[in-house]
Amino acid sequence: MLLARVIGTVVSTQKDEALQGRKLLLLRPLLVDEAGQLRPGPSTIVAVDSLGAGQGETVLFCQGSSARQAAGMATVPVDAVVTGIVDNVDVNHRTIYPEPKAAK
Amino acid sequence: MILARVDGVMVSTVCHPSLRGCRTVICQPLNEHGAAEGTPVLALDAHGAGQHQRVLVSTDGAAARAQVGDPKSPLRNTIIAILDASS
Amino acid sequence: MRLGHVIGKVTLSRQDPSYSGGRFLLVRPWAAQNQTAGPTLVVYDNLGAGLGHLIGFTEGSEASKPFAEATPVDAYNAAIADEIFHQPPQ
Repeated sequence: MLLARVIGTVVSTQKDEALQGRKLLLLRPLLVDEAGQLRPGPSTIVAVDSLGAGQGETVLFCQGSSARQAAGMATVPVDAVVTGIVDNVDVNHRTIYPEPKAAK
Repeated sequence: MILARVDGVMVSTVCHPSLRGCRTVICQPLNEHGAAEGTPVLALDAHGAGQHQRVLVSTDGAAARAQVGDPKSPLRNTIIAILDASS
Repeated sequence: MRLGHVIGKVTLSRQDPSYSGGRFLLVRPWAAQNQTAGPTLVVYDNLGAGLGHLIGFTEGSEASKPFAEATPVDAYNAAIADEIFHQPPQ
């Protein structure tokens, strides 16, 4: 699984029947750099949302055939599903998400 | 299947039940010239491959699950052949 | 399967119902000297690996195999390494 930021939505009227009523999100994967900071990855991915993630939120998503193991996705032709909404990310005991407030 | 060289072993006590008692080796994928290509992967070794021997690694999960006899094993990579030194 | 170092953890506020009982580790893939490691990823853990541990993790569809019920996991911690011996030829 990868972390990602929700950067938009994709809307389609003509689509596979199994996709009816499903929300499609545009995701930008987030990677942790050498300094322990979240950095946007190089690709953009479209994933089905099953949890109600909103614009700008940080999520966990699953790819490949494992994605269809998510609740209600067994018959949906997708290879990327948002499976978690991130509360907190810790690297080396330091919280990097949500971003710590800058000291005054 | 990938061509690889055995560069080490991993020792693990806390692992998925299907890996208990199995020898897990660190395999360095190789290109056609025998040079390292990409980063090392772990593979189950049931043939007793020696350090720096060249091997064939299968990445077929179904075969790996059959080998350990556990349909719920997360294993994927298994050594299926040790290459002759001359090849 | 690949080797990776646990560099942190992820907690979720909302999640797929099948995830209960698991933990999510931030993992930096291990690479030999003079090699660049792949990008960091999130690995499902139920063995109890902690910060600094070196683990062997499976990716792809095999990662969802160990579960009794359908669970959307594409990276699974299969082993915590006690130690590794690694010595490429000179």
